[in-house]
Amino acid sequence: MEEVKEMNLADIRKLLKELLIESLSLEDIQPDEIADDEILFGEGLGLDSLDAVEIVVLLQRNFGLEVKDMKQGKEIFYSIDTLARYVYNNTRIK
Amino acid sequence: MLLADDEKPDQQKDDADKKTVSRKRGNRLGFWFFKMFIRVSGLYGAYGLLYFVSLYYLVFDKDAVSSARSYIEKRFPESGYFKKYFHIYKLFVSQGRQLIDRFSVVCSKKGAFDIRVNGYDGLANVLNNSDRGAILLTSHLGNWQIALTALNKLGKKVFLLMRKEDNEAVRDFLNVGYEEGDINIISPEQAFGGVIEIMNALGKGHIVSIMGDRRYGAKASKVKFLGDYAYFPFSAFAIAASAQCPIVLLLSAKVSAYEYVVDVTNILYPECSGRKKDIELIPWIQKYASILEDFVNMNPYQCFLFHDIWKDDK
Repeated sequence: MEEVKEMNLADIRKLLKELLIESLSLEDIQPDEIADDEILFGEGLGLDSLDAVEIVVLLQRNFGLEVKDMKQGKEIFYSIDTLARYVYNNTRIK
Repeated sequence: MLLADDEKPDQQKDDADKKTVSRKRGNRLGFWFFKMFIRVSGLYGAYGLLYFVSLYYLVFDKDAVSSARSYIEKRFPESGYFKKYFHIYKLFVSQGRQLIDRFSVVCSKKGAFDIRVNGYDGLANVLNNSDRGAILLTSHLGNWQIALTALNKLGKKVFLLMRKEDNEAVRDFLNVGYEEGDINIISPEQAFGGVIEIMNALGKGHIVSIMGDRRYGAKASKVKFLGDYAYFPFSAFAIAASAQCPIVLLLSAKVSAYEYVVDVTNILYPECSGRKKDIELIPWIQKYASILEDFVNMNPYQCFLFHDIWKDDK
């Protein structure tokens, strides 16, 4: 978790793509095939509510971060970029 | 009911069907009538009234009969045409009794029923030794609302994943959605189906209660139930696997007019690491279905599914 504090936004995006692929077992997708601004749920990557469970766990286990509620979740889970910004901003506060 | 966006049209269709049906059954006058009957003649008097009300539904409510038929046909495959109607009638009477019991508890007759809990110490032990909370898996069997009241003394905060009741009369008279004690509602009709709130509650060591036997358009696993393959939603099992928390099966059976037996002896620890959750989770879902099957074999008129779960209506 400590090394995340040293990472820039681009590195966090890359790390998140790798973690997403691993946690969600997206075997047919490579990290560079996911665009930073690609919509994660519904259209775009096509994730569903059970994938949201895995992302919540991923944020807790890898970054010690919690998503407060659905409203915040909607903003954070929009794309890799919004996820990365959330991780970037909140790991630095800690 | 945890839904992907692409599943919502089915959900809305299901909602529309449900609204049409639920508006037909249970109005304020009917509930007021039963309330007065309970006051004047007690539980047995209200139960007596049910024989006539259930007969009315059997003869005039084709939707109600049709929704009960799939379960009755699987549970009593040997029964002929008229015998099946007789089973449906008994099922209606039994459900009516349990609704009256629930109503009677809401009307502050809390001590009216003896509730025996099997497995209470084991459950308390699991909860006290875990900081990950637990999923309480309820089913449309027996009277789960009364069963929940028996768990109040666990001293744990309970979150119910449930939709707002469409029928206002049912909501007000049966107190649906306004549960007492340390009980909170999580609506599945929000972004991500309420999973963020569920995960937060589990992370704080609370109990989250989820219905496990009807999919309401959600993804499902195919397991054996009453001699044929049925579709059970796997979301509760997937959440438990991700949150690494136990699933506690909550069963309740009415064993006499004033007595319920609540069973929390079955505790499962599902595991799943891949993307094919519907396949990977089958061993635990099959175990759940087998436990339900044992229950309905012992209590054939306490299964209130009223839905063809053997049909793949995704």
